[in-house]
Amino acid sequence: MTQPGANEAERSRDIRKRWLLSLPALLIVLAAATGPLLIVVLYSFLSPGPYGDVQWQPSMDGWIGVFLERDMFTETLSIADAHVSILIRSVMLSLVTTVVTLLFGFPTAYFIATRPERTRELWLLLITIPFWTNLLIRTFAVLQIIRNDGLINGVLMKLGLITRPIQMLFTDGAILTGMVYVYLPLMVLPVYANLEKLDFRLVEAAYDLYATPFRVLTRIIIPLAKPGLIAGSILVFIPALGAYVTPSILGGGKNLMLGNLIELQFGQGRNWPLGSALSITLMLIVTAALLFYVRNVGSQGSRHG
Amino acid sequence: MAESNAVEIRDVVKVFGFGEFAFSAVDHASISIRKNEFFTLLGPSGCGKTTLLRLIAGFEFPTSGEIILNGEDIAAMPPFKRPINTVFQSYALFPHMTVADNIGFGLTMLGRPKQEVRDRVAAMLKLVRMEKLADRRTSQISGGQQQRVALARALAPQPKVLLLDEPLSALDYKLRKDMQIELKRLQAETGITFIFVTHDQEEALTMSDRIAVMSAGKILQVDTPRAIYDAPTDRFVADFIGETNFLRGRIGSVSGGIAQVETPMAGRISATLPPDFVPDGEVTVVLRPEHACLWLPNDSAPCQTTGTLENIVYFGTDTHYHVRLQDGETQFMLREQNKPLQRQRFSVGDQVGIMFEENAARVLRN
Repeated sequence: MTQPGANEAERSRDIRKRWLLSLPALLIVLAAATGPLLIVVLYSFLSPGPYGDVQWQPSMDGWIGVFLERDMFTETLSIADAHVSILIRSVMLSLVTTVVTLLFGFPTAYFIATRPERTRELWLLLITIPFWTNLLIRTFAVLQIIRNDGLINGVLMKLGLITRPIQMLFTDGAILTGMVYVYLPLMVLPVYANLEKLDFRLVEAAYDLYATPFRVLTRIIIPLAKPGLIAGSILVFIPALGAYVTPSILGGGKNLMLGNLIELQFGQGRNWPLGSALSITLMLIVTAALLFYVRNVGSQGSRHG
Repeated sequence: MAESNAVEIRDVVKVFGFGEFAFSAVDHASISIRKNEFFTLLGPSGCGKTTLLRLIAGFEFPTSGEIILNGEDIAAMPPFKRPINTVFQSYALFPHMTVADNIGFGLTMLGRPKQEVRDRVAAMLKLVRMEKLADRRTSQISGGQQQRVALARALAPQPKVLLLDEPLSALDYKLRKDMQIELKRLQAETGITFIFVTHDQEEALTMSDRIAVMSAGKILQVDTPRAIYDAPTDRFVADFIGETNFLRGRIGSVSGGIAQVETPMAGRISATLPPDFVPDGEVTVVLRPEHACLWLPNDSAPCQTTGTLENIVYFGTDTHYHVRLQDGETQFMLREQNKPLQRQRFSVGDQVGIMFEENAARVLRN
């Protein structure tokens, strides 16, 4: 039988000890994650310096510049068509990349998950091998295949199917191809992890209950693999949205994505506040996508995951 | 005759693996399972009973042979086209659906109208006494309840044949006993042919109309529980079901299906021959422990043989006696039912006489 007062004191001491123990972790989170982010937020509300950097003068120009542009002569504001089209292209390309990786990734993951246990690791290894190579080199490899005097055009010309090379490089299609190639493992792995846990006796039970193979896929396998499909989609969509290397090499500087636009502001554009504002816009889009995930799948996934 | 059969299995072979790793899980099996029958496939694990069930369900396809349902060979038909449903050992309930959705799944897949599905699900829930749990997730109900849902789900589409793959093995003793009675009730109420797979001989004896005993992919004997127990034709069947005494001997004379077998340990035994069996030389005679009784030598009774009482084991309902027969090698076991406040008649070391009950001894095929 302890006194209520003593109990209280003990509990507060306990709480203090817990905070003290988690202090190093909190410091790292603050210094490495929150701190730089706060700097980006701060910069987005300042004025650009003439040679890059920022001037300590509060300004909304960075944020205004995200969607609007000021006419050089009349000083009137109009919609920044270039930014909007880059934003739309980025979202669209990332969505299409996600869909295409889903279409290729799901059958691949299903194939691996249904192999005998001994050979599964080998297949997974094959999927992860591209990860061991630098992203830049992988992207240049795609470039080698699709450029005008590259592999595909070369073979088609030799076969006499075409007389002039098909322009594949520096198109949205080129960016898409590159991104699908680069991000495919990020889709396959979580989907595989999910399918590997799937109880295939449920598939048998569904067959037994008059479900055709297509119905088994749509009513049993996909609903049960949903957490993995969503996780894979997020893992592909988020980096695709901010992709920089792939669109810059395969898009040839013409077909910009958000990542390239941001890079431009910190480089040639010398407009750090605009770059910061664009970065935060990108982050907000990602956050919205994540919230959508949590709302729709997060809770449901844990119930039977 | 064929009309009264629900399923006919004709010379079915299932081989797994190739070349030198080839292994016959089902080896030339033939059975006719009658309509409205509670039929059991009984055997130890690895005897091929589950493979045979999976062949009937359509999860495996036979290497050769026919599986006839309603006069049609369904051996190559995929499972979703067979009017056969399965209750799985693991239940295999869909975790992303409610109890009601699980039960309605088969009917929905058959494209039945929504109202009909709803009515049928309600009727099934009533049948298995689970009305209150219709909207629960399958992870939120107990093992026994999951068992009932699995049963209701498989019965809902009103299959011609219901397959049950050791459905009671995951339940505890008391619940298993209840479910045995429940299963018999459901079979009687629905009139559906049940094919039940188990390794539990007691389960098979208490529930089945007929039993097929399997070993190493072969079907050894198909008969009623009573005949399987009282008149096993194979040594394996006799050994697998219940406890048994085996006595080796030579065939003396045969007349009218009864053979006189000369044994070194128990003299001449008259034993019934299995049908269509031509004995030759050495045979094994089988006798159940409760089909013989003990006498003290001073009781003036016509004893089959005598021996020394080596051991007495009290089992509550009955007492087991182990007797060393006159040849000094064979141990013979007897079982006597206990009566209230019975005085112990024998003690270890006694010279005792053993009497066989008439027509109880049988010759085995091998």
